[in-house]
Amino acid sequence: MGTSISSWENVGAYFTFADNPVALGLFTLGAAVIIVGLIASIAKHENEAFEKIEK
Amino acid sequence: MDNAPTLESLQAALDAQQAVFQMHQSMNVEVFYWWCTAIMIMIHAGFLAYEMGASRSKNALAAGIKNILALAVIIPTFYLFGWWIYNAFPNGFIPIEAAGALPWSTSMGPDVTDMGTGIFWAAFAMFGATTGSILSGAVIERIRVSAFLILTVFLGSVVWILAGAWGWHPDGWLLTKLGYHDVGASGVVHAVAGFFTLGVLINLGPRVGKFINGVAQTIAPHSLPMTLIGLMMIIFGFFGFLGGCIIFNGGETGWTTIYNNPTNLSAFAFNTLMGFAGGVIGCYIASRDPFWTMSGGLVGIISVAAGLDLYDPELAFIIAVVTGVLAVKFAKLIENFGIDDAVGAVAVHGFTGVWAVFLVGVFAAGMPNVGDLPPISFVGQTIGAIVMAAVGFIPGYGISLILKKANALRVPKEAEELGLDEVEIIAKPYPEVNGVPAVTSSDVPNKLANSEPGV
Repeated sequence: MGTSISSWENVGAYFTFADNPVALGLFTLGAAVIIVGLIASIAKHENEAFEKIEK
Repeated sequence: MDNAPTLESLQAALDAQQAVFQMHQSMNVEVFYWWCTAIMIMIHAGFLAYEMGASRSKNALAAGIKNILALAVIIPTFYLFGWWIYNAFPNGFIPIEAAGALPWSTSMGPDVTDMGTGIFWAAFAMFGATTGSILSGAVIERIRVSAFLILTVFLGSVVWILAGAWGWHPDGWLLTKLGYHDVGASGVVHAVAGFFTLGVLINLGPRVGKFINGVAQTIAPHSLPMTLIGLMMIIFGFFGFLGGCIIFNGGETGWTTIYNNPTNLSAFAFNTLMGFAGGVIGCYIASRDPFWTMSGGLVGIISVAAGLDLYDPELAFIIAVVTGVLAVKFAKLIENFGIDDAVGAVAVHGFTGVWAVFLVGVFAAGMPNVGDLPPISFVGQTIGAIVMAAVGFIPGYGISLILKKANALRVPKEAEELGLDEVEIIAKPYPEVNGVPAVTSSDVPNKLANSEPGV
């Protein structure tokens, strides 16, 4: 599963899902969501930390 | 005589030898840029030490974690869109076809037939990370980490690489229209990052206590020795950075600049070291200050980087000395305008980068480019320098203004006074010194933190 080749003859791009544009698009989306999620989680952590000192 | 070689067998043997030679040449290219990329990691080790040292002890770890996260977000975002921006925008703001640089392209992953894309992407990603980290030191002790990461992604994966597409690409419009010359990225990396930083600092404002009745105060670094060592580590990493700025060609061509002009590592070696030495001397003369003396090494290299392939080494030395003096004066000037740049990034990178691009137009005007490209000119370099400053400043100011309006740019005053490590970070940099026992009970195995987050 995920293999883009069945033999090493005449191989170019050989990485997992290289022949599956939908999967590659989903991975791109997933990577982007992780970055946005990281920054959002940091903002949330900051807000909570700042609220604590205001109390 | 049956075993005598035939013309066909000799040709076959020659073809086989050529195939082996070409494969080794391609491998050498990969090896060269692999190690340039590795050496560039030292820049980030240096930034880490230098920013933590430049902070007061109450903010040391917050400065450090911000720096580490910058590297971690710029690398994937440069994969997602940075590399595509470089390949798609050499003509300005209208993209050209560059589907091979999109993240879902088969070029953007392991490929038996492609021994170039990955290694060049990696080197450029580290250039981007360096650019994004230049902002990091200037804004320590009061910026929100979330805001900083948004800004550094724009700087490291969008803004500088757009400037790179214009002025650091064989088809970039600054080169094809104006003969722009900036081999060591004084403009596309340093000027852009420095002026982006200036735009952010205007909106961010100074640290609490930096100005009293309008007079600038010294906020002493908690570990100046750590800062000095960090700066020297950046100098080491610069050799990877500048190595990555030269093109290792296959075939008979040998080394060229990114503009395809002939050059070699010997040219880079002469002027990198002479620039370093000159910058240290210039900043020492102007300041007598250890931090600025060591920063002078950066100033000196950046001041000659744009013309690294062209300068007489003694001229490079003199340029670096003079620029070192001017950079200290520039830092004082912007401080007098109420700008709190904690590490002098605007002067070291912004002023010096713009000045370096301009000086190529002064000292190397008339130098030819290859083919039909226009030669280097005073006007071309002056315009290029202005473009680099504007490409950095406008988005830096604009994005930070939006964050400021959303109350998402700066930490609250109470948090700043208490210290960001105390408020946000689950560890203490020097627990015994701060009265926190080094040994505490914890439910988490091998937990490195020594206190609970927050107050």
